[in-house]
Amino acid sequence: MFDKILIANRGEIALRVLRAAKELGIATVAVYSTADKEAMHVKLADESVCIGPPPARDSYLNVPALLAACEITGADAVHPGYGFLSENARFAEILAEHHIAFIGPKAEHIRLMGDKIEAKRTAARLGIPCVPGSSGAVGEDAEALRIAADIGYPVIVKASAGGGGRGMKVAKSADELLNAISNAKIEAKTAFGDDSVYLEKYLAKPRHIEVQVLGDGKGRAIHLGERDCSLQRRHQKVWEEGPSPALNATQREEIGAIVARAMAELGYVGVGTIEFLYEDGQFYFIEMNTRIQVEHPVTEMITGIDLINEQIKIAAGSPLTIMQEDVRIQGAAIECRVNAEHARTFLPSPGRITYFHPPGGLGVRVDSAAYQGYVIPPYYDSLIGKLIVHGRTRTEALMRLRRALDEFIVDGVETTLPLFRALVRNTDVQNGQYDIHWLEKFLQEDEESS
Amino acid sequence: MPIKKPSGKSSAEPTAGGFDLSVVAALAKIAAHHDLSEVEIEHAGLRVRVARKRHAPVELSHVVAAPAPAPAPPVEAAVVAPAELAGAVKSPMVGTAYLRPSPEAKPFVEVGASVKAGDKILLVEAMKTFNEIVAPRAGKVTHILVEDGAPVEYGQALMVIE
Repeated sequence: MFDKILIANRGEIALRVLRAAKELGIATVAVYSTADKEAMHVKLADESVCIGPPPARDSYLNVPALLAACEITGADAVHPGYGFLSENARFAEILAEHHIAFIGPKAEHIRLMGDKIEAKRTAARLGIPCVPGSSGAVGEDAEALRIAADIGYPVIVKASAGGGGRGMKVAKSADELLNAISNAKIEAKTAFGDDSVYLEKYLAKPRHIEVQVLGDGKGRAIHLGERDCSLQRRHQKVWEEGPSPALNATQREEIGAIVARAMAELGYVGVGTIEFLYEDGQFYFIEMNTRIQVEHPVTEMITGIDLINEQIKIAAGSPLTIMQEDVRIQGAAIECRVNAEHARTFLPSPGRITYFHPPGGLGVRVDSAAYQGYVIPPYYDSLIGKLIVHGRTRTEALMRLRRALDEFIVDGVETTLPLFRALVRNTDVQNGQYDIHWLEKFLQEDEESS
Repeated sequence: MPIKKPSGKSSAEPTAGGFDLSVVAALAKIAAHHDLSEVEIEHAGLRVRVARKRHAPVELSHVVAAPAPAPAPPVEAAVVAPAELAGAVKSPMVGTAYLRPSPEAKPFVEVGASVKAGDKILLVEAMKTFNEIVAPRAGKVTHILVEDGAPVEYGQALMVIE
């Protein structure tokens, strides 16, 4: 087992990792930019090292600084959290070269799934159902038009080096296709440095359903059920829940078994999430995230399994000790991502939290690094924290969420708490009747009526 | 019959309206000796604070009569930490600081040394790569704040050059 983990991240996930490490009796090193000097996890860590000025590229993305911090503290493992370097295959390789463990998958799998075209090919090869699309990159030409006609309009043009909802353009007909491709290529080049794009069938009203997997790279992998993350704004998840209100037990077992088998065959190490679009009873693979995800607490609440704990143990070389038949989905959990943004305009609202009172009680969990007096820096994401509730049924979870949201006070900055208070009272949300376009429609109607 | 005068110190002692200025002189001496920027003392209902610009002559600052008798005099001294001084040279990176070019060599500089802008003052090493840290301005090395071989973080004060 590791002696000392360096947490190469910040905010709530850094605190999450710190908590798991402490519970395993592992020493912790917090690295921070000058803007994060007063961060909660920095205060709680056994050691801390300032690694640079506020900009991420000079601090949290600064590989030499992170390596130097490992060197001077003697850390033998690095947990990359999510975002930043968590899906950077080169970083994983560099750590390996320096005999420091990377708490994550093998670099080759990060690389494989980071290339969205390769990821789809691999998924198809492993028996995971995929969205009909081009089998590789396309150019702005007759070939693209032919492929799109085969798929059937509307089609979506996606950046191969993209992901997380960025670099995508829809074409509703052949007339729009070539333009959509060239625009997508320009955007992709700017955002990701790689302009290769591919085509996929555009689904009209799908749900976003993702399956959590855990593998030990020693031939075993299990699934831990799904999360429904359909409520998104500009491709950013806002509200996540598990189990999905749209699936029954049979469907859950079926898709779970498919992905678990695929990950065992791949020899995947650690946690990962296979993301699908789901429409009319069909699953369509879109991408795989080879890291711990923001919404992992939803799965933890319904399975009782500590995912970061499992991640650390597997990275330290232990085999998977949980059997698939031991994984039981109990009750329902809902997570709200509370951001420091205006609830209507979503303009970021960094600044000092003058009053902070998180909710409590049975089945209520708050994963947040915020505290009264904390100043949210303007350089990073606007996540104040995640409110996760669990209930024995989805109805109980909804009642608990309503109660917890009403108890939650954050003064001094704007927050999206009012949005969640409205969502939990909304009939469609209560009935689980929504798809990936629902939230934006709701926000637009809300804006038009005010 | 001659009028009796109130008893007091002999006129050899400096006085200012009955107040004993020897306290002030003593405080000034303490401040200078320990290179303090401020010394304050409170006793028997009177509070005296002496402040000085370091490397400058002593100035008498402030004499205040407290309204009630005070308990035993606390002496407070306000000192600016070396790392906060304007002349502090901060580390641009994470690594290990070395004060000498190699284990057997003399240190680059010692306290009291005069340096020109651009003179090498120490090394910070990370991943077997040595980075030379140079004096950002001419001046005198007044403090060396790290030990040879000590780990340093970004922004940590290494030396003070004034």
